Amino acid sequence: MRDTSTAFRVKKALGYAMMLAFLGFSLLPVVWVLLLSLRPATALFEPIWESPTAWTLDNIRSIARSDFPAALLNSFITAGSSTLLALLVGVPGAFALSKRRASNKFFASWLLLLLRMAPPVGFVIPLFLVYVRAGLIDTYAGLIFAYTSLTLPFVVWSMWTSFNQIPDELVEAGLMDGASLGRVLWRIVIPAARPGLVAAGVLSFLLAWNDFFFSLIITRSDTTTAPVAVMNFVSYASVDWGAIAVASIALTLPVVPIIVLANKYIVQSLGGAVKG
Amino acid sequence: MTPPRASAAMDRTYRRMLWPASLAVGIFAIAPLLGMLALSFTDFHLVRGWSGKIGIHNFLRLFEDRRFVSSIYIMMALSAFGVLAQVVLGTAIAVGLDKIVGKWRVARGIFVVPFAVPHVAVALIWLSLFTPTLSPINAVFAVFGIEVPALLTTQTGAITAIVIADTWATYPFVMLIVLAALQGISPDLDEAAALDGATRVKAFFRITLPLLYPTLLMVALFRFIETLKHFPLIFVMTSGGPGRATQATNYYAYVQTFQNSNVAYGASIAVFLFLFAAAISFYIAKANARLSDA
Amino acid sequence: MIKVTRRALTATLLLGSTVLAPMLAPGAAAAQAREVNVLLFSMPSTRGLAALADDFEAETGIKANIDVVGQDVFESRITLSFTGGARDIDVVHTPVIQVQRWVEAGWLEPMTAQIDGLDDKDDILTGPLEAYKVSGDYYGMPFFAETGLMAYRKDLLDAAGVGVPETWDEMLEVANAVDSDDTAAIAMRVAPGQGFNMFVFPMIMRAYGGKFFANYPDDMTPAINSPENLQALNTYITLMNDYGPQGIGNFNFPEVVAALQNGQAAMTVDGTSIVSQAVDPAASKFADQFVLALPPGGPAGRSPAIAVHGLGIPAGTENADAAFEFVKWATSTETLSKLAINEAYPDFTRASVAENPEVQAKYAGVQENFLDLRVEALNLALGHYRPLIPTWPEIGAAIGENVNAAVNGLMSPEEALEAAEDEMKSILAY
Repeated sequence: MRDTSTAFRVKKALGYAMMLAFLGFSLLPVVWVLLLSLRPATALFEPIWESPTAWTLDNIRSIARSDFPAALLNSFITAGSSTLLALLVGVPGAFALSKRRASNKFFASWLLLLLRMAPPVGFVIPLFLVYVRAGLIDTYAGLIFAYTSLTLPFVVWSMWTSFNQIPDELVEAGLMDGASLGRVLWRIVIPAARPGLVAAGVLSFLLAWNDFFFSLIITRSDTTTAPVAVMNFVSYASVDWGAIAVASIALTLPVVPIIVLANKYIVQSLGGAVKG
Repeated sequence: MTPPRASAAMDRTYRRMLWPASLAVGIFAIAPLLGMLALSFTDFHLVRGWSGKIGIHNFLRLFEDRRFVSSIYIMMALSAFGVLAQVVLGTAIAVGLDKIVGKWRVARGIFVVPFAVPHVAVALIWLSLFTPTLSPINAVFAVFGIEVPALLTTQTGAITAIVIADTWATYPFVMLIVLAALQGISPDLDEAAALDGATRVKAFFRITLPLLYPTLLMVALFRFIETLKHFPLIFVMTSGGPGRATQATNYYAYVQTFQNSNVAYGASIAVFLFLFAAAISFYIAKANARLSDA
Repeated sequence: MIKVTRRALTATLLLGSTVLAPMLAPGAAAAQAREVNVLLFSMPSTRGLAALADDFEAETGIKANIDVVGQDVFESRITLSFTGGARDIDVVHTPVIQVQRWVEAGWLEPMTAQIDGLDDKDDILTGPLEAYKVSGDYYGMPFFAETGLMAYRKDLLDAAGVGVPETWDEMLEVANAVDSDDTAAIAMRVAPGQGFNMFVFPMIMRAYGGKFFANYPDDMTPAINSPENLQALNTYITLMNDYGPQGIGNFNFPEVVAALQNGQAAMTVDGTSIVSQAVDPAASKFADQFVLALPPGGPAGRSPAIAVHGLGIPAGTENADAAFEFVKWATSTETLSKLAINEAYPDFTRASVAENPEVQAKYAGVQENFLDLRVEALNLALGHYRPLIPTWPEIGAAIGENVNAAVNGLMSPEEALEAAEDEMKSILAY
């Protein structure tokens, strides 16, 4: 290392400071929401030092008793299924797009992206009509299909780039050893692209998890998902901030363990990464 | 290169697997899109119905519509600044996690949290943070006698506020993708660079960053398309205000469709947005392809 | 082997969800005779109704599937349901603001015959009921009629040595005296929208003699650009900018409520649902210090706001009879009284409810003359406080956006009113 130790330490300190600042930015709203969730209605927006003892579990209790937990479960089921579907179908598709020599690869990928470009408000009425005729209103299948139009293009697009990083020689080597392409994909390429795979899976899940529009149009009381349920706390003359706060936390809590678990795969693959 | 024979068999397998899902998605996505296109040529109104008229009158009206034209500027401001902020922040955090923090896996989990919060909640939370009477930021600064300005009551302030909230909610998207890409880049490269006498910072900007360009472009493209569809943040945080200062194009389409009941006109705005997004993404994707093949 | 596994997995998933789907799809509820699907948006009265659903079933044997959703969710759902001809809703929450539009689009069933057949029809407050009359037919029955009141902090006004403002000009002086660094004098809605700032601004407008149209409903020439409206707008701008809390340029009802409850604002003039949150001890720190009064007037008298909510029956529903049973039950004296007692001071629409001693005691607990104030305000309120025409949502939004721009200094008040009138003209001409 050409850096002198002091210059290096200063840079490292700056680096940590920068990360701390980012952490602060990320966590500020989270901490704020945590506080809101535990405050009673009379002291919601008061600075803590003015009423340091005003804490309550009422907000949490009222959420637990409401329809929100059911909506949360619905979000899980639909986002999870859609992600699995997108991975199962999208990963092989991305592999083909990446490794196959063809001239229309570019258009294929761009076409996938096209699906996401239309502003929802434009096709909301035709979409609703299609779903009503197909009998898919307020069904899990209907929502999963809708979400797949979000997750599938993303998985293909993102895995395509990941697979591009895997050198063709690796695939060739596997084929020369007598394995079928499917096996090569499963045994060699996918493990090599694991960080990308995990990222794609997690992000697809979050994309579907976060969706508000499709759920608004397609669901009714049976399959309402969490984002729509949160909107129900904004009523005619009042906003239930406490409930919204608890709901927001309940929505993000499941995500953290998912990420932490996924991290294991990302870190593990550092050892098995394709080197040079 | 892959042997042609296996390639054909592989093709067939993958296409066989891709077709069912693509077909389903196609029906449920393409049919409505065609419906939207059809609507834009009519004068379908929620209350008055359709007079049977078919023509390009909606599109002609678009170009004379001052509100529509300003909505485009507003949308570009929100998208350009938003994407820039998200990509820079997401990359910075990814690099920081990869090179500086490294071993603390939980940190990654914490940084991703904002992305799991649905935009409706993000909007409500940041609305309260930006409203002086509700926000803890204002309360804290008030102790020191500093008055934090109310962002949401001026045009630039409102746009800034939305960009901040949007960036907070979506930088994890960029971060995760860049992180994955970084880990695909061999650490040997860094060592090689160090041996050649470059500092780590220089190594990053000269070697790592260029390798990241395809990824960054792809991410920027994706985020750009998403920001064109901005809705909850505007709806909840500013109601399109102050005045009409944050009525971006998609929001304006919503206004025309649901508030003014002019579904056909709203559809034409949506069609315009669609073509606009298609054109821009075409150019970016092409640039991306050129970089990837390089 | 891998291919088989993968294919099997995909197949199972797809199959699984298709199997789940019919099990979870609502069993075509509308086709069954003794069930009604009700769609309401969230407010204390409707939440209270949902809680009483079992009572309805016990009384009539009809099962009510009541869905209470957020207002924005509601608007999208009902618009789609109407346009898509889904016919999945039998009773719909019908705000007066929408009834003209929905009737013109042919989306509601008339219920004139049933309403005229009621023996206690006279008990229903006339104003709210007539608001549902379009072209001679009734299209809904009201369950909630909000009016506008003023809430002020008696302690702060006394400390500043000023009395209660009777007119908006007096309000300017009172605000000047009461305004301090700790507590702004007044907080009102400013956010642009027909249901946002345009719910409160007409109270000022009409007090100064301003109008929307030259002579509603006979002469519908837009008349928003007038000296009276300009004066009202200037008063509004001064009050908000000089005497309002920081950031008021974006205030909507949640911010107004929070400001009152936290002591950041001393006064407000808004709907009864808002002011009652200021005097609600469960949520407001200053509940005891707030006093309710009629909104300030002006040269043209007082013009309290009014917003009526009712229940309507979508056209083409297969359960019209059962639907009307529900509407009748939900707007009956019994149910409204229960709601008045269980929920947080809803604005009921039947005179007999006000006679109920329990209700009287509850409202008097807040303020002795709360109920009387309400009745007085309702009587003063104009049915067309916000013009009852199908294009109101568009017009209201246009005016609201210009008014908001004026408050935030993006336009001068004169420009704002000019632009508002131009836009009114083009909307009506289209």
